[in-house]
Amino acid sequence: MLQQIIAITLKELKVVWLDREALLLLFAMPMFFILVMSFALQGVFEAGTKGRPVQVLVINQNGGPLAEQAIADLKRIEELMLIETAGGVSLSLEKAEALIRKGDYSLALAFGTGFSERILQDPRASQGEKATVYLISDPATNIQLLASVKGVIRSTIERRILLATMPQRMKQAFGNPASEIPLGLDPSNQNMGNQFERILEDPHKGAGDSSIVVFVNASPKGFSAGRRPTATEQNVPAYTIFGVFFIVLTLASSFLREKQDGTFQRILAAPLSKTALLIGKLLPYYLVNLIQIGLMFAVGVILFDMKPGYLPAVIVVSMALAAAANGLGLLVAALGKTEAQVNSLSVLFAITLAALGGMMVPAFIMPGFMKTLSLFTPHAWALAGYHDVIIRGLGLKEVLPETGVLLGFASLFFAGALWRFRFD
Amino acid sequence: MNRMPEPMVSVENLRKSYGDAEVVRGITFQIFRGEFFGLLGPNGAGKTTTIGMLTGLVEPTGGRILIGGHDFFLKPMQSKAKLGFVPQSFALYPTLCARDNLAFFARIYGLRKGRLKERIAAVLDVVGLRDHASQTVATFSHGMKRRLNIAVGLIHEPDILILDEPTVGVDTQSRNAILETLEGLNKSGVTLLYTTHYIEEAERLCNRVGILDQGKMIALDTPATLVRNLGTGIVRIEFNANPDDTLLRQIGHLGSFRVIDDRSRHLRLETDRTDRAVREFLDLMDKRSGMLKTLDIIEPNLETVFIHLTGRTLRD
Repeated sequence: MLQQIIAITLKELKVVWLDREALLLLFAMPMFFILVMSFALQGVFEAGTKGRPVQVLVINQNGGPLAEQAIADLKRIEELMLIETAGGVSLSLEKAEALIRKGDYSLALAFGTGFSERILQDPRASQGEKATVYLISDPATNIQLLASVKGVIRSTIERRILLATMPQRMKQAFGNPASEIPLGLDPSNQNMGNQFERILEDPHKGAGDSSIVVFVNASPKGFSAGRRPTATEQNVPAYTIFGVFFIVLTLASSFLREKQDGTFQRILAAPLSKTALLIGKLLPYYLVNLIQIGLMFAVGVILFDMKPGYLPAVIVVSMALAAAANGLGLLVAALGKTEAQVNSLSVLFAITLAALGGMMVPAFIMPGFMKTLSLFTPHAWALAGYHDVIIRGLGLKEVLPETGVLLGFASLFFAGALWRFRFD
Repeated sequence: MNRMPEPMVSVENLRKSYGDAEVVRGITFQIFRGEFFGLLGPNGAGKTTTIGMLTGLVEPTGGRILIGGHDFFLKPMQSKAKLGFVPQSFALYPTLCARDNLAFFARIYGLRKGRLKERIAAVLDVVGLRDHASQTVATFSHGMKRRLNIAVGLIHEPDILILDEPTVGVDTQSRNAILETLEGLNKSGVTLLYTTHYIEEAERLCNRVGILDQGKMIALDTPATLVRNLGTGIVRIEFNANPDDTLLRQIGHLGSFRVIDDRSRHLRLETDRTDRAVREFLDLMDKRSGMLKTLDIIEPNLETVFIHLTGRTLRD
């Protein structure tokens, strides 16, 4: 019995060994995952740490010395990297918004005009004019990361304001007659110490204001402002794209089976062109992809109240996405000569490209070179297209670049596939 | 005056090379309307490549093919429409039922609606699978799959049906059923091109045969003519011990024998008169009692024609 087991083992080893490409993929696949996922997830584990600071665009619109001091304070925070210039020129609000729209950065901090004057003036003479700090962010930015970064920025600025207004408040607390002290502070009160602390914490409360600085959260002009993406809006498009590319395995396996069973040969012996055969063979998978996308979006809309945005734009992106997925499927069918090769290549492409393209980890928290790499995946462009429509509220014209790139990927995949494809 | 029969297929100096290896080396033949033509040859003789070129699946390196008068390379679609192809593999969709398989291929050939249904029923009858029309092909026996394979080739009523070893791997009963079906088809006027390395099938079915060996057509005629002109009887002898030189010399001197194969204890002899040759040989063996183990006589047939021409059997 042992000999039989050994014989079977040796035979199987030989079979595996003879399919070198599949063997190579078997080793290459986990290695790829380790590399891609480790680099991609660096963002998750290290974003906002000393090694990987979060990049924040800073615009000082004549905010005065206090704004400059706050910027200096923020620069000392190692978890943040402040960017004040672009191309050697100080950033303007318009330029910063353009950079966010382009997807180069996720967050901008702008100190409004007269920031310092409004902070330092006597609150009783402020007549309701408040210093303003704008936090402009891409609506598609991860909400948890954004919240923590904003928290750090806000607390740093408030600390700077507190320090700057301290002398004035001290004067208010000790230098003025008791009758002039706001907030009804009674010097004879035994609890004066506690009340003093309260003034230091928020000296303007007594004037009926909530704060002398207003933090305005906004999206860049052109993006639908004020709404943050929900988990559904983030996940539905990402996992739809992820799922769409699983057609690669189904499609490539089907082609391989037809080759192996000889049905391709039989069909080609009929009066039918190879082009007609390929189109007929691909069309159902293309339709399956479109139905798949429709169903997944329907789940988002029906179960999670997702707003799909401008439907024609979603359809255009979806059609281009399905074309790219089908093209990749045909390419795998052309490259894979055995079932093992087709399986490994399909899984390799489906998972690696998804990870690289920001389906599992948002691209904006990836290291720089991974962000660049993600642009070489159809996934990233499809996700950008869907985010443009669903989260940023953009229309058909705005998703044309992403659609164009997706169609470019599709053309590239189809060209490679047709170059390598054999019907026998 | 007899009219010249109409050629359904004309093959002229057909060649195919893969790199430096020429697998089909300038073959020429014709198949006439209503004929049952057999293409014989051992594995690797170039049969399947020739079939591949005839069906448009393999691009020839040179030569010309005419199907029903159409130059295949100038009018491939018209030529293909006249052909029915039954490949060696099953080439069926196992998850579909027989009827769905037939309907699919019928649509590929442009059949629609009533005509499609009519043809499906007709070919199911021809191959005897009417009662299994709704059965999934995956559940079919080997023989049933072979029969359905033929049915698919017939679905569009082709002028000529090309069958590449359609009985490979089937049991005797199914083989007989298939051969009967093919005989019936031929009687009904269908022209058939049939490749096989089963000599008895070719002898039973074919009006004419072409024998291919190493990419060349080495014989082409009716089986009867080939056997008459080239066929010799074969005597296979097995000894209990290696024959010594004296014995081999004695056998060589027997005028009715020609030694065509001599391997250790086995000897293969070719003869025009098997009865006389065997008698002379047995006389010789009388003096060497216990030396002879088996003696096998093959009367002249296509197999012996092939052996005569190549020194090998069709199944070598």
